[in-house]
Order: sequence, then C-alpha cells, then structure tokens
Amino acid sequence: MSSLLLIAAKFLSIVIGGIFAGVLGSLTGLGGATVLVPLLTLFYGVPIIYATGASLISTIATSAGSASAYTKQKITNIKVGVGLEIATTTGAIVGSLTAVEVYDHHFQWIIYVIFGLVLLMSLVPTVQRGKYEVPQHIKPDWSSRLFQLAGSYYDARLKKKVDYVGVRWWLAESIMFFAGVISGLLGIGSGALKVLGMDWAMNLPMKVTTTTSNFMIGITAATGSSIYWYEGYIQLFLAAAAAIGVLMGSFMGAKILVKITNKDIRWIFFGILSFLGVEMLLKGFITDKIIIISSALEVAISLVAAVVMIGSLYAKNQRGEKHAQGN
Amino acid sequence: MPREINIDRIASYTLRTGVLTSVTFIILGVILMFIKGEASGYSISQISNFQDMTINSKLISLSLSGLASGLVHLDGFYFITVGLWVLIFTPISVVVISIITFIAEENPLYLVMAIVVLFNLFFAMLVIPRLM
Repeated sequence: MSSLLLIAAKFLSIVIGGIFAGVLGSLTGLGGATVLVPLLTLFYGVPIIYATGASLISTIATSAGSASAYTKQKITNIKVGVGLEIATTTGAIVGSLTAVEVYDHHFQWIIYVIFGLVLLMSLVPTVQRGKYEVPQHIKPDWSSRLFQLAGSYYDARLKKKVDYVGVRWWLAESIMFFAGVISGLLGIGSGALKVLGMDWAMNLPMKVTTTTSNFMIGITAATGSSIYWYEGYIQLFLAAAAAIGVLMGSFMGAKILVKITNKDIRWIFFGILSFLGVEMLLKGFITDKIIIISSALEVAISLVAAVVMIGSLYAKNQRGEKHAQGN
Repeated sequence: MPREINIDRIASYTLRTGVLTSVTFIILGVILMFIKGEASGYSISQISNFQDMTINSKLISLSLSGLASGLVHLDGFYFITVGLWVLIFTPISVVVISIITFIAEENPLYLVMAIVVLFNLFFAMLVIPRLM
C-alpha cells in the first residue's frame, strides 16, 4: 500500500513539474516542452528518449488547447499555417528519423548538446521580439499574390482592424523545414523558429505569427509523435502525467500573462531558461565524458553563464529602449 | 460559386473536443492503473520505473481489435493509448477540415498543399513504421 502511495506521489510530482513547465513555457513564449525536457532529464532522472517523447505529446496538447481559443478570435491565418506545414511536417519526419538513428547508436549526448544550443539560441529572438505590434509595410512580392498572403484581423488592444500582406513565402518555407527537423529531433514545438519564419521572413504581425505558429506546432508534433510511438519513445505513465501537467500549466500561464504588467519580471523567467540551456549543454559533454567536473561545479558554471547571458541581453535591451525614446 | 465557410469556428470546436476527449481517456487510464495496480500485466511499480527501457509504447497493439479488447478489459494502458492517439489526431483533423474548406472555396492551390500536408502525416504514421 505504501508503495502505491509512493508511486501516486511520483505521478503527482511529474504533473507538478509539467505545470511548472507549462507556466514558464507560456510566460516566455517558448512553449512547455522546451522547459519540460530539461526538467525531466536534469531533475527527475528520466532518460532523454522518454523525456522528449513525453514532451512531444505535451506539445500537441498545449497547441491544440490554446489554438482552440485563438482560432475562434480569427487571428490565426490557417492558409499561411497549412502552406508552411508542408515544410514543417517534412522536417519533422527527417528530424525524428535522425533521432532514431542517434538513439540507436547511443549518441544521447548529442541530443543534450543540440537541445542546450537550441534553447539558448531561441532565447535571443524571443527576448528581442515584440517591439512592434504591427510590422512596417513591405511591398508585396510575387509570392504574396500567388499564395494569397493578404489577411486581416481585429486587434482588441489597438481597437482597429489590422490589414497585412505576407512576403517571401519561400524563405519562410525553408526556415520552417529546420523548425520541423528540430521539433522531430528534440521533441519540442520549436515555436521560436516558427515565429522567426513568419515574423522576420514573411513580415506578418506578431499576433498572427504567434497564433499561427501555435496552430502549426500541433500538426508538426503529431507527425513526429507517430514515429516516436512506434520506436517506443513514449513511456505511458510519464506521458500521461506530463501531458496533463503541461496542459494545466499553459492555461494558468496564459491567465497569469494577462495580469503581469511589469515587463521586467519576464527577465527572471528568461534567466531560468538560460540556466536550463547551459545545464543541458554541460550534461551532454559530461555524459560523453568530454569534460569531467563535479555536479556542484556544473551548477555553478550554469548559474554564472545564465547570469552573464541574460544580464548582457537585458543591458542591450535597455539601451535599445533608451535609443528608441531618444528618437 | 465559392462559398465562405467559417473554418475558424469549426476548427476551434474540433480542437477543444479533441483535447477534452483525450484528457478524459488519459485520466481514466491513470485511475484504472492505480485501482488495479497493474496494466497489460505489468505491475504499477514496473510501469512507473523510467529506467526500464522495455515498458513503453512499443508494447501496445494498435490494431482495432487490440485496442477494443484492451478497452473492454479495462486495461489502463489502452485507455491512455486511446487518449494519446485522439490527441495526435486532433491537429490532423483540422487539416482535414481545411481540405473541405479549400474545396468549398474552390482554391485549388491550397487544396493541393493541404493534401501534401495530410500525405506527410500519414506517411509518418503508416509507411515509415513499416520501413523500419
């Protein structure tokens, strides 16, 4: 009986970890899975294969859960989403097959290292984005007409209808292929790359970008999930607990996000994420015995690196804001 | 004449229904697992051991008869399995809905693109597992 209680406690602790990942993922805009994988591997001792499997499943749950709210508001551009899904689903197939190869050869450490790098690199555009709600107008190109990239939505905060035209569809399509590969390889939604593709390449408004990316993440993750399933990367006990937790967490995160008025609080979350990123990177090198250090030193290095990284990004951001005000 | 279909509303409704159905099955599966103390013949302490690399999705028979018999025997694993696959199919169903919309809107380019996406999804689901 006591062992049953212990197992129930284990289940609950994963649900709580999932809630934490979901809240942090939605507050930073990186998605719950990006937080869940480091959490499960670093603190719960879960093998990275199962951690990525559970996180891919959680990704679908959060994407579908929040997309149901966004699509209703008619901000999501389903045409743009479906068009770009050609590249992300192809990428997801390539990525998950690569993951299978990597795990078959027991190169787990590579996944840790790539995960750490992707997490750290996703932070930079995520930190810097959101300066303009509506992008500056760019002249429509041939792809705008051919792929019908014009759209509009009602912005509740600006209190007006926003018309927009997407450009450079082919460029977004190639970025999306990489987003798909990363998603399949690491079991995350890779929303940061998807946002980069639509925001930077296609020049779509931020609201359209984030909601459409969220809609696409579910389809990309569904592609990878089936390959993960047949390869046995889904541990049912873990996936069940994680999916429930992350789903709950991301709903809570969305509610908290509305209430946060002080933008600087976000920097604490970015700090936690960069800490996790450096830890994953080090863990990869330690797993393969490329470097040999004690776990205390590992944590210390991660802390220092995270503080330096977020501190310099913060300083850069403050300078940028001052500069903008000066103009 | 092309017709305008409220795709956003239908998509939103489908997504919500999918997630709710899935979570219901997953929670039922977890409850069954704890009440019975086992699933598919494995004890709950084996099931909750992540270091064991044999007890995972590879064990589950995804044939319709396999799923049905798992559900009839109130096997927690099969309830979770159904929940997870409903979840996987939820975003896919939105692609299917978009195909219907593009037919109604007489938009051949996007019809083809949506079909390619659907093809990729089923390629990952049905063809790749057979090749591996």
